[in-house]
Amino acid sequence: MSGYVEGPRQCEAVQDELAELALGAVSGRRRAELLEHTGSCPRCLAELERLSIVADTLLQLAPRAEPPLGFEMRLAQRLQASAGTHRADRSRRLAALCAAAVVTLVFGFGLGALVVHRSGDSQVGSATANLTAAKLSSHGQVLGEVMISAGKPAWMFMTVDAGAWSGKVTCEVTLADGKVDVTGVFDLAGGYGAWGALLTAPAGQVRSARLVTAEGTVLASAQLPV
Amino acid sequence: MRRFWGRDGNGTSDEALLAGIAIGDDRAGVVFVRRYQQRLFGLALAILGDAGGAEDVAQEAFIRIFRHAVMYDPRRGPVPSWALTITRNLAIDALRARRATPTDPSDRVFLELMSTERRPEDVALSTDALVPIRAALADLPLDQRRAVVLAAVYGRTGAEIAEAEGIPLGTAKGRLRLGMARLRQATVMEATS
Repeated sequence: MSGYVEGPRQCEAVQDELAELALGAVSGRRRAELLEHTGSCPRCLAELERLSIVADTLLQLAPRAEPPLGFEMRLAQRLQASAGTHRADRSRRLAALCAAAVVTLVFGFGLGALVVHRSGDSQVGSATANLTAAKLSSHGQVLGEVMISAGKPAWMFMTVDAGAWSGKVTCEVTLADGKVDVTGVFDLAGGYGAWGALLTAPAGQVRSARLVTAEGTVLASAQLPV
Repeated sequence: MRRFWGRDGNGTSDEALLAGIAIGDDRAGVVFVRRYQQRLFGLALAILGDAGGAEDVAQEAFIRIFRHAVMYDPRRGPVPSWALTITRNLAIDALRARRATPTDPSDRVFLELMSTERRPEDVALSTDALVPIRAALADLPLDQRRAVVLAAVYGRTGAEIAEAEGIPLGTAKGRLRLGMARLRQATVMEATS
């Protein structure tokens, strides 16, 4: 392996090239060699991750530009054409995401809305008007957020980004009539997780949501505004 | 540690929108397109230099984002980075497929990226998180800033930078390494301050 150094000098040799690797400026065999090393060296992997964050952030500095007139219309047409090709693959992935839900797949991402609406903040605001959010907390500490969309289909999205719990958790929602629905079972890793799921009940009926461990312990809960 | 969740004035996070897209919520798709079309088109335009090619790339990027929304893993990076990286890679592929000359370093957009000045519309739209890295980039010596921007945005390798700049390969690699080290240091200092 050209350029590949075994032994104690390996990290030193690799670190000189981590910046280029993070920038995507290394290709072919050398890239594979560097990734092989970082895959087994936590120190170099951590440095590569830090440099990759810098490289990714640099892209956000590119100036924004208004697309040509009709951009959304043409995008809608391409999405529609793409939908037919990828519907089968998409169904499989969606089934994995919403394992507990009976999914009626709607593919066509805003095709009608994209065609009808023109760009403008007022339309963007109306498109999210049916979203309800609530803090997910435990003993007064905010652990994340629950967001529920009253669209068709109705869905919920939950983020947990604090705490330390790892393992399977069940997400339950309590409805206005007191009935409890299980929306899915998900993984938390070190207090961190994010997922989405379809709701089988109307979004307006959801009064609260909570995360429960396999042992029945409630990790966190959220009260949705009525 | 609380992680960064992208959101705008509507209060809907990027991650929530992707979840909605994955599930088939058409309104989430509309909001996402409206939120990102200027960024994706702007980046593609910066790399390709022509509006037609940039539109094609930006639209293909949206198609891929929608198609893979269900696979998005926030632990691997925030949504803006994910979306822009997809766009960048598509633009660079398009550039190489047509064997076009990479954007001339005297190009207006390149100069904007290199500049320490910020356009009023970008000031209004940028998040606070970009301020430190923008300042750190502006503080880099010019040769390092050129090398870093050429690699990060335009996808040029060390060898391509060396050829374009008329410098030895080792010098080009050194500029990339030193420039990135300074940017990393600046962002680490910001995060710990």
